[in-house]
Amino acid sequence: MQGLNVFEKGIGYLWACLSLYTGECAYLCLYAAALVYICLRGSRREKEIFIPCSVFLILTVYNPVAPVILDKFFDVNNEYYRFFWLLPVIFLVPYLFAKLILSAAKGTDRVTISLLILCICLVSGKYVYSDGLKLATNIYKMPDELIKISEVIHDDSDAEYPKAFLEYEYNMQMRQYDPKILLTIDREDYLYAAGNTYTDEMLNDEMHPQYRLLAALVKMQPVEEEAFLDALEATKTEYVVLNRNNPRTSFLLIAGLKKVQETENHIVFKYSIKEPYDFELVDYSVVY
Amino acid sequence: MSNAILIALSVICNFILYLSFGSFITRKAGGSKETCPLLLSLIVGFFFYYFLFFIVCVGPMKYYRPLSMLTGIWVPFAVIVVAVSFVMNGRSWLKAVKEAADHVKSHPLISLFIVLLVAAQVFLVSATYNFTLDAAYYVANVATSVETNMMNVYDPFTGAWQDHYEMRYFFATYQIQDAVVCQATHIPALIWTKSVMATTVIILTNIVYYMIAGKLFAYVDEENEGRKINKEAAVLVMMAFMFIINLTFITIYTSSLFLMTRTYEGKAIVGNLAVAAIFLLFMSMNDDTLTVRPWLMTFLVCFGAATISSSANMLLPVELTVLFLPMIVRKKRWGMLFKYAACVIPGIVFSMIYVLYVKGYFVFYTFPK
Repeated sequence: MQGLNVFEKGIGYLWACLSLYTGECAYLCLYAAALVYICLRGSRREKEIFIPCSVFLILTVYNPVAPVILDKFFDVNNEYYRFFWLLPVIFLVPYLFAKLILSAAKGTDRVTISLLILCICLVSGKYVYSDGLKLATNIYKMPDELIKISEVIHDDSDAEYPKAFLEYEYNMQMRQYDPKILLTIDREDYLYAAGNTYTDEMLNDEMHPQYRLLAALVKMQPVEEEAFLDALEATKTEYVVLNRNNPRTSFLLIAGLKKVQETENHIVFKYSIKEPYDFELVDYSVVY
Repeated sequence: MSNAILIALSVICNFILYLSFGSFITRKAGGSKETCPLLLSLIVGFFFYYFLFFIVCVGPMKYYRPLSMLTGIWVPFAVIVVAVSFVMNGRSWLKAVKEAADHVKSHPLISLFIVLLVAAQVFLVSATYNFTLDAAYYVANVATSVETNMMNVYDPFTGAWQDHYEMRYFFATYQIQDAVVCQATHIPALIWTKSVMATTVIILTNIVYYMIAGKLFAYVDEENEGRKINKEAAVLVMMAFMFIINLTFITIYTSSLFLMTRTYEGKAIVGNLAVAAIFLLFMSMNDDTLTVRPWLMTFLVCFGAATISSSANMLLPVELTVLFLPMIVRKKRWGMLFKYAACVIPGIVFSMIYVLYVKGYFVFYTFPK
């Protein structure tokens, strides 16, 4: 989990992890209540199915010592929460809800219990579309503008595989739609940029010229025009696509990049590479 | 409209494929006690299919053969399996379909509501727009593999050539199967993954939910001799609450979020479908209703899940342990311990290989060295 470390947190890691996992949801409490009900009033089968695994999970996965021990063998910092998926919340809680409703006498009782349970469900969780249900506008489930940008780049470029610098969201989406566009920035570099600023040493690092691009266009750090153009040249980046609101659009024009086309919210810029480079797929026929 | 038809036909083809593969494993498992062999075949078939694909895929991938070579091997093989399965199992499928039709006829309204419930989920997972970081790897890997006609050789994030395979993803050949289908059918990777596979996975998950709910309320029927409850209605209500929980048990870490927004990803399949399938098999072995090859089915779900996402390597051995060990001890069937161990081994072996890779003991290069 992001920001959590077993080594730093020790046995406190589990609670911190569980707290992030459940967030505003109370389903684990409902599960605990359902388990108590099964212990007290459950049938033989219900006890056989739900109690041993829950006890075993409490002793292992939900044991604060477990992540500390596991971390000695595997790096579990980012993935320990997945063990929480094993608690059969999705079976036990709905099962008891359905049983309660269907066991109630028909009529007002059943309606009242149903409404009560529905309310419990709604206040126990956070709706998956609480930020709004966004319907896809095309069959690819990609922003229409990204598809347009792909067309603009291919129409303009002579290369089969043009290389582009894109802002975060489009950078993560472009190659799902169009694998013919190569990207200057990989995922790790973008994740680094999201939480850090670049030091002078990093900006002068000839091995990682992409740092200068990220510093200038994403982190809005001052970067010399020449150093920026050198970075475009070194990374063979021919196209830069920025949101119209990005304050660095004028910097690109001053640096000599040409505006190829504007879409609804984005501008596609072109940098004329001094030493043209055409990416080719590796020829494996010699290997076979 | 034509895209909707394409997606619907692709999903149907997927189900025919899984049913054909699964029926070889579940043959005769539909004896008098097991009521849903058709549905069980679909579920087991899904994992069996990916298990076999892994066996066929790893060799060509390790020796950097082109994707088209794998497509040339796998597609005819799958077609032959479907044809043979049709000949061998066609009659039992027909019988099972007739039984299912009778069941629907006897509970038309409840069946309709169940279909509507699943249809609502299909709509949500296939028609909504979701931005997820991991799709930048998974979907782009399918698109990149098709574009370059290679498997895992080019970096999906940037398109750059990689000199070695990333072992974290090497054994998870699920995406390569997607690439094979995309190459064979010319369906774009985005449509295949985010629409066809998302629909397939959400339906399969609901099938397992239906079977688990059916079992739980069959127990209620058995134990409440005096006061019966309407089992079919109870199943519908339980499935409705499962849906509500999947809609509302939401943080960026829950399996419900993965199911509703990242349905096509390996992690979502492992965290929802595979975990539920193991739970179903556990219930069936616990009540002794599944007597034909139950451990083989469990093994295939475990191994198949490990080839879908590396998350299964740790998750399913733990699930098997917490579910099956207490059952083995209670039933005093010590011979099952070996079968349990056999199911746990693939995940542990894959994990160990990954640890050795991380510690620098070996590298698989993408070219001869």
